[in-house]
Amino acid sequence: MKRNRIRTAILLAVALCVKGYVMAQHLPDGMQVKARVGYSIGGTTPIPLPATIRSIDAFRLTPSLMVGADAWLPVGRQWGVSAGLRVENKAMDADATVKGYHMEMVQGTTQLEGIFTGQVCQKVKQWMLTVPVQATWQPGRKVTLKAGPYVSLLFSRGFNGIASDGYLRQGDPTGPRVTIGNDKNTRATYDFHGDMRRVQLGVGAGVDWQCWQDFGLSADLNWGLTGIFPGSFKTVEQALYPVYGTVGVFYRIK
Amino acid sequence: MIAAILTLCGSMALTSCIKDERANSECDILGAWVEGDAYKQYFTDESQMRPTVLYGSNTVQFTVKTLSSLPAQIPVWFEVTPGATIEPASGTAHDFRRGPVTYTVTSEDGKWSRQYEVCFIGSQLPSFLFKFDHYETVTSITNSEYHSFYEVDDAGTRWDIWASGNMGASITMPAGSGPEKFPTSAMTDGASGTGVRLQTIYGGDLAKMFGKPIAAGSLYLGSFDLNQALLNSLMSTRFGQPIDKDPVKVTGKYKYKPGPEFRDKDYNVVPGRIDEGDIYAVFFKSRDKDGNDFVLTGDNVLTSEYIVKKARVASLPATDEWTPFEMSFNEAEVDYDLLANGGYKMTLVFSSSKEGALFEGAVGSELCVDEVEVTFKDIVTE
Repeated sequence: MKRNRIRTAILLAVALCVKGYVMAQHLPDGMQVKARVGYSIGGTTPIPLPATIRSIDAFRLTPSLMVGADAWLPVGRQWGVSAGLRVENKAMDADATVKGYHMEMVQGTTQLEGIFTGQVCQKVKQWMLTVPVQATWQPGRKVTLKAGPYVSLLFSRGFNGIASDGYLRQGDPTGPRVTIGNDKNTRATYDFHGDMRRVQLGVGAGVDWQCWQDFGLSADLNWGLTGIFPGSFKTVEQALYPVYGTVGVFYRIK
Repeated sequence: MIAAILTLCGSMALTSCIKDERANSECDILGAWVEGDAYKQYFTDESQMRPTVLYGSNTVQFTVKTLSSLPAQIPVWFEVTPGATIEPASGTAHDFRRGPVTYTVTSEDGKWSRQYEVCFIGSQLPSFLFKFDHYETVTSITNSEYHSFYEVDDAGTRWDIWASGNMGASITMPAGSGPEKFPTSAMTDGASGTGVRLQTIYGGDLAKMFGKPIAAGSLYLGSFDLNQALLNSLMSTRFGQPIDKDPVKVTGKYKYKPGPEFRDKDYNVVPGRIDEGDIYAVFFKSRDKDGNDFVLTGDNVLTSEYIVKKARVASLPATDEWTPFEMSFNEAEVDYDLLANGGYKMTLVFSSSKEGALFEGAVGSELCVDEVEVTFKDIVTE
């Protein structure tokens, strides 16, 4: 069902671009419209990384795609302002070795909370509609530098993982010790997607380089300022911020 | 290729942010031993000079021939969590004849500590008439409370010889559960004084997730190693206490009621199958062929090559009255020299579901026991 929602959102975004292309012909003079696609890579992570994370052992690519469009209006000779709409996924799939890492599992009416040392496999999925509003500055005819805040509305959330190959001390480091294995019945799984925030805020900065006719390349860095969980959610000890870099191509419709 | 480069960049960016490792916060005794030929004579066997220390236990217990013959000062050595410190220091001598000595282990980061009682005890079970009148209420980390049985000898010394799975159940049961919710608990209406109530329970949603949906009530002579409860649950039940007598039979009183629906380890109902309680005793060699201290575990408690003889009830028909049971050990040769020198152990096991160790049984099955007595052969010493 979630997959359907994502597909619908992407189709909607593409439809909007096409519609935008048609509408763009009637837009006010001076306004520029760009359609863009991109691929993001990054992490949803505590910043800085806590000392409880001892190493990152694997970092797998995820379907962190971005489709969107934005409109730009000049303000003066080199300056301008742009606003856009994006459908994007900020996902993560990474393995880490941890030592003394606080974790909690909840299953029905029972929960197990404690300090874990071992392997953690963490998966994050965040499909969202993002509206960036950015100030732009053009040092030359083909290059646009841009920066500004964004707001995102999540429509598909995922946050789950597996703790394995280690041990848990229930409660605190002196608590009962339970060895954790790595098969279905001996490892610990957790899933907190229902606790994730629906709305995220952040800032982004990037560059557009219109390198061939109406086509161009872009690079952006988006830095989340709100943790992916509300402050009242204490199960995941550190606040996790989505920090993603996006490389993409754009086409100037108008 | 691009994917590989992106992956590499991502991991490198993250890896470059790894902070220095923090000092350890754990503070466990990992091993304890007495060393030196001078002290060998006090132990029935060299393997007793280095007892197993379980993470879940706050006591370290050395078993000696007799407490009264101990010298005034014995140095005990410890291995603790790397970086942790122990006070009094490892290797210092103390007088253990008048009871346990308290040691404190402090973690490397200085923020945590654990207290242990180190004691020396004589090698024999104090009494073989078990009335189950002594138990304490243990409070778990999630504020659940459960009962833990022990024996007290004529001199008033406490013997922690009984174990149950309660500690394991406390990990996954709902926070704040009371003693009567636990698989093993004391009942006030025993055959005389208090008795033991063993019940098969649903272990909770977490336990089910771990493939251990039910927890049978159990009580046995031995110890419980919580550390193994999830990874290798059959290894968490460690059966046996030292014994220097040759057992013949076990008698006692019981009540039994099977639960309504027998379930397999996947928690599916097995139609038509009726749960059964179980009581058995096993007398076995206390050292393996390499001379190491040996205990039976859930995987071999009835099948180990070190078993000398065993006794098991044929059946426990359902009854809600206190009903006598009796079981006799099979005939087997016992080496009385070895018996006098700590060569044997015995366990006595009660369980509300026969297949409880495999997480099969009926929720609601209840076995009550009281007034259990082991009788022994008269040994004529030459």
